[in-house]
Amino acid sequence: MTATAASTKKLKQGAAPLPDEVAGITRKRVCTFALLFMGLAHIALLRQKWKGFAFALVEVVFLVSLPVIIRNVIGLVTLGTPQPQLPIKFRENSLFLLIDGVITLAIITVFVVVYWISVRSALLDYGAGTRRQQSSAKQQIAAIGTRAFPVIGLAPTVLLILFFVLVPLVFSAAVAFTNYSSPQHIPPGNTVDWVGLDNFASMFGGDQMWTGALVRVFIWTTIWALLAVSTCYIGGMILAVVLNESKIKIKPFFQAIFILPYAVPAVVSLLVWRNMLNGAFGAINKLLMNFGIIDSAVPWLTEPNLARFVVVLVNLWCGFPYFMLLTMSAMTAIQQDVKEAASLDGATGLQRFRYIVLPLVLYQTAPLLIMSFAANFNNFGAIYFLTNGGPNVADTTVTGAGATDILVSWIYQITIGLMKYNYGSVIAILIFLVLAPFAIIQFRRTKSFKGEM
Amino acid sequence: MRIDKLGSVVWKVLVYVGCIMLSIVVIWPILFTVSSAVSPGRSAAALSPYPFASGFTWDNFSYLFTETLYPRWFLNSFLIAATTAVGTLVFASLAAYVFSRFRFLFKGSLLTSMIVLQIFPSFVGMIAIYVILMRIGALDTLWGLVLVYLAGNLPYSIWLVKSYLDTIPRGLDEAARIDGASHFRIYATIILPIAKPILIFLSVTTFAAPWMDFIFPKLVLRSPEQQTLALGLISFVSEKNSDFTTFAAGAIIVAIPFMIFFLFTQKSLITSLATGALKE
Repeated sequence: MTATAASTKKLKQGAAPLPDEVAGITRKRVCTFALLFMGLAHIALLRQKWKGFAFALVEVVFLVSLPVIIRNVIGLVTLGTPQPQLPIKFRENSLFLLIDGVITLAIITVFVVVYWISVRSALLDYGAGTRRQQSSAKQQIAAIGTRAFPVIGLAPTVLLILFFVLVPLVFSAAVAFTNYSSPQHIPPGNTVDWVGLDNFASMFGGDQMWTGALVRVFIWTTIWALLAVSTCYIGGMILAVVLNESKIKIKPFFQAIFILPYAVPAVVSLLVWRNMLNGAFGAINKLLMNFGIIDSAVPWLTEPNLARFVVVLVNLWCGFPYFMLLTMSAMTAIQQDVKEAASLDGATGLQRFRYIVLPLVLYQTAPLLIMSFAANFNNFGAIYFLTNGGPNVADTTVTGAGATDILVSWIYQITIGLMKYNYGSVIAILIFLVLAPFAIIQFRRTKSFKGEM
Repeated sequence: MRIDKLGSVVWKVLVYVGCIMLSIVVIWPILFTVSSAVSPGRSAAALSPYPFASGFTWDNFSYLFTETLYPRWFLNSFLIAATTAVGTLVFASLAAYVFSRFRFLFKGSLLTSMIVLQIFPSFVGMIAIYVILMRIGALDTLWGLVLVYLAGNLPYSIWLVKSYLDTIPRGLDEAARIDGASHFRIYATIILPIAKPILIFLSVTTFAAPWMDFIFPKLVLRSPEQQTLALGLISFVSEKNSDFTTFAAGAIIVAIPFMIFFLFTQKSLITSLATGALKE
């Protein structure tokens, strides 16, 4: 007979269960126990042996791995010391130290969160008075099973996001504060050091060439995103309205044709356009020369301003069908009787459009413009596949930024081409700071957000 | 009255002319690609700018299937897309169910962090992803790439499904709970069938995306037989190669199923855009 069972028996023999305070179990004591060691309060005070053991196991595992954790944190702080006397294979790899450190930080955070949950659970159980109820091991395990459903349901998601989204992002944010760059600081040959805000200083004013490139690329990225969204939006809307309102007989035929660019995978259409726009042998130049419209080849993608213009045009080709479909679906939602009432009142087609259709469609689709702006701000493919960032301008050999490069495609050139990961990370942080407000505004207005916060 | 009529005729003519001109602009690159695919020769320089003026041959297709690893790339892309779609559906619907129906600690902060996370351009973390995949032995494997896609898809997908589930009254699953059904049973027999429209939307979009993705496959997959369709196609027209006709042949084989799908579903596409995107 176990001690627990014996005490239960004693309790049962008593006339009524004693209040917890009389047994010396106060809220404060539960709290102290819970804080002392994870699960201790559950085991010692609350008769929740199984739950307590589960929590205690987490802490034991954490304590056992403490040496590794401490080693990783130290590694994160030092990022390794240069060991030129060793062969490269045996030198400390700053990259691994940094990633292990970030993962360790994530694990520590998870541990703290679980600790917090265990303390809260102890206090909740105390409030619910589990001490006074007798529950078998089986019941406890079943209860854990029910309570654990949210945990099990979320676990794969949280783990995946933690390791493949969060840790990489923290890692790249951290790189912005190191000198991880070619040629002097590329692991495994050399170590990387923390350099504080040096990279930010040279990107924002310290280094003229890089600052110049950053300002140029940033301005072009903003213009590009604005133009890309507005051209596709206006173009798509005009088409939708014309097709819907003009009552031409073969509307379905034209609609089917206009959807085609949306159906072709973007990479394919961009690469085809690149080929057709090629200055030397592209089909467009050949055709225009055949018709005698131009005398010599037009450098569509190799003259900076023309290339910028062409990139926006090709993006319009790829992107207008989406907004056309969107406007059409918004227009079908407008009740026919509203329009009919307006016609009866003598509104002309143009007036109907101006005062009824347009405001309603704008109201419905405007939020998507914000999303679309953010998406185009980061539209890597549209630039990379069409122009690869080119043509080159004065500072391209040093900074890697071509005339049509936007921030994301520039990051690609900086990291893959120039291996200046530190500068790439500074730009990534910049993108984040620019776009985060958009995302937050966008999601704050959704209904499901309002319900939760 | 006559001026009105004249005006409407002029307007109609304008609409027709405009639509026809635009149709030409839309169709020409597509026709050009199709005609390149059946043109003899390899490079684009020799091609005529007029569609189907360069001759006709099936050589590019037979070359594609016999001399390149195109079928293998196709299979790889299919496996990646299918696994990603299924995984996203399962994990996103489970997590969305939990977020929609349970109250728990840190729920708000988890939701907010998911929103904020998904705006970061995901490939800025690619060095870290590369090292993590190396650590778990997933470099140059398809499942490694699937893990990366899953993690990238989940935040937005969960949000989408959760928004949808929130619009469904809780009474339905609460009644089942009172009848003693377990959480998992409720999820499988009540929530999943109800969420079908949004899950179909999600499966189409997540299945379509990996086919033409470029950055992550390039990062993760190295050996020739592990390439995806996009990588393989792009390699035909990279700096070193200029094999536009083979590229065109490979591209239309991918594009045609997509185009047929879009043409046949355009009606429901319009309504699904209305439910999925317009009314969040």
